[in-house]
Amino acid sequence: MTYGPASLAIETATLTKRFNSFTAVDHVNLTVNKGEIYGFLGPNGAGKTTTIRMLCTLLTPSSGSAKVAGYDIVHQANEVRKKIGLVSEKLIMYPRLTASENLMFFGSLYEINQDSLRKRVDELLDMVQLTPFKDKPVGGYSSGMRQRLNVIRALLHDPEIVFMDEPTTALDPQSTRFVRDLIKELKEMGHTIVLTTHVMEEADELSDRISIIDHGKIIATDTPQELKSKYNADNLLEIFLTLTGRELRDSASDRIPMRRVMGRM
Amino acid sequence: MFSELRTFSIALKIARRDLLDLWRAKMLLFSFLLMPLLLMAMFGYMFPTTPKANLAVGNMPTAYPNLPVALVQVDQGSLANAVANQFVDIAQTQQLFRVSEMTSYQTARDCIVRGTISGIVVIPDGFTAAMRAGMQATVQVTVDETNPQIAAVVQAEVATIFGVISSNISTTTMRNMMGNDVKPTFLLQPISIAQVPLVSGTSTTFQFLAPGFMALTVVFGALSGVGFAISREREQGTMDGLLVSPITRRAVIFGKVLSQTVRGLIQAFLILGLSMLLFGVRIYGSPLLMLLTMLLGVASFVGVGIILTAFAPEQETAQMMVILLQFPMMFLSGIIFPVSSLPGWMQWIGKALPLYYAADALRKVVILNAGLNVIGMDLMILVAYALVTLTAAVPIFERAMTR
Repeated sequence: MTYGPASLAIETATLTKRFNSFTAVDHVNLTVNKGEIYGFLGPNGAGKTTTIRMLCTLLTPSSGSAKVAGYDIVHQANEVRKKIGLVSEKLIMYPRLTASENLMFFGSLYEINQDSLRKRVDELLDMVQLTPFKDKPVGGYSSGMRQRLNVIRALLHDPEIVFMDEPTTALDPQSTRFVRDLIKELKEMGHTIVLTTHVMEEADELSDRISIIDHGKIIATDTPQELKSKYNADNLLEIFLTLTGRELRDSASDRIPMRRVMGRM
Repeated sequence: MFSELRTFSIALKIARRDLLDLWRAKMLLFSFLLMPLLLMAMFGYMFPTTPKANLAVGNMPTAYPNLPVALVQVDQGSLANAVANQFVDIAQTQQLFRVSEMTSYQTARDCIVRGTISGIVVIPDGFTAAMRAGMQATVQVTVDETNPQIAAVVQAEVATIFGVISSNISTTTMRNMMGNDVKPTFLLQPISIAQVPLVSGTSTTFQFLAPGFMALTVVFGALSGVGFAISREREQGTMDGLLVSPITRRAVIFGKVLSQTVRGLIQAFLILGLSMLLFGVRIYGSPLLMLLTMLLGVASFVGVGIILTAFAPEQETAQMMVILLQFPMMFLSGIIFPVSSLPGWMQWIGKALPLYYAADALRKVVILNAGLNVIGMDLMILVAYALVTLTAAVPIFERAMTR
């Protein structure tokens, strides 16, 4: 794998986000290489989702800058949006519409002609084995089916970079396996994946490199193997707990706007 | 130019999806279609239309037929008998009252207290004697004052019936005194008043209400609908799917406004259709001008809905904030009560609300066949509101979505 600016999919410089007096992301400098799976780990409220939302142009940074696929996230937001796909922890689907209708609708927001889009929708549905259910309303899908659909919605325009925010949360083992294999397949197809997860074993299995963020700051970045040897640990969970502590992270802030909180529910 | 076309094309797609969503939600669709029907039925029967009486041809139409009243005839003289008989005859022929004859005022009063009758007509002792002496005789009326609307109707209808009876007595008396050549109508009322309506066949209460309700439905639909739609999508997560795609925020706003406007127009035309079918409302003006007025009504206030949504943390708060705005608008904009009937300071508030101008213009178009030259000022005010509120709303929405 080559390293250097030309091979960077994402690059941030002192990226910061404040909600009133609360600093959710604090001068973060990170790089994601093209074609890699970048695991982004952290306890609840550490700043993972806020970082991802800034990189996806859904939040404006308070200070600092970031380039995604070579474009500035603030000044070239629309160019960034053409290059990225977002698999949110929430299902980005309209429950009363069928899978086909949902995918055709979201696909139509990109500049893809109808025939190519229809073909792409069929291919993707086939890839996640949902073709037999494509004309059923998504509201009736099982959580595994929904998440498979959620993943392919982000792939409709064949993005260079796919952000996956806890893609296997609340899935049964079969669906979890399926989504993980899908992520590997996407990497083989040349996509860059930014993956946030609370499942350490998943991060270990999938990620080429991992960053751990806590209190808005990145506290470690390396390959899973390097991290394990550096901290002399057998697994990522031990490293994670060593770096972020063992106390429970219950917090209730009245400084973060409610709509941001709602956005995560 | 190309980017504007793309914004419009995306807005159409968003609107189409929203409407498809409504079509799929059968319970929601049912309530959506039922709402105008309920609104019309409730207000239609709360403010029933009473056509003008034409006593010359013995026509006394009423909005409240066969109200129960008691007749207490204390005087048993022949003239009292004749007047009582005429009263019962007219009341029942014209279906104004269902008359029960009672023996005492106290019994009848107890019936009012129990709520079984709405009024009492008493022909008191000395009635016949007064008339025979050529003096004015008096009939006493008591009404159920706990129900002012029905009380007013009973009073007015009793007065109308005794007006007819008095007129008959005067005519007979004059003919007896002066012979058949005399013209009692001229002697009794030398000048009569004939009302000429602005447009023939109009002047029902509902003709006033229906255009106001149409404006209300469209404007409120857009005001609350856009706000709810945006906050719902934000909560369920689908807004992220829209905002992460390479489309302008304006396309999202216009798409939502478009779908809510179509929904509002469907309801408004349902209201119009039902008003025509059930309450005899007639359209005298241009349907195109009606459509233009309603669209400007939407444009005038939808920006406020978007701004409120941008500031509201979640759907429930957005809903409450919109209701807070809608409630005074409903009563102060001249939809149900004319603005001129409000106290001075309330009139100022009413006239500061764009719904007042939308309803006023729509009413003038529907009832008076007014053209652009008449409603031009109303429409210009709506355009001014639209420019100010939308100019503020679009950047506020854009900032709020990525704040």
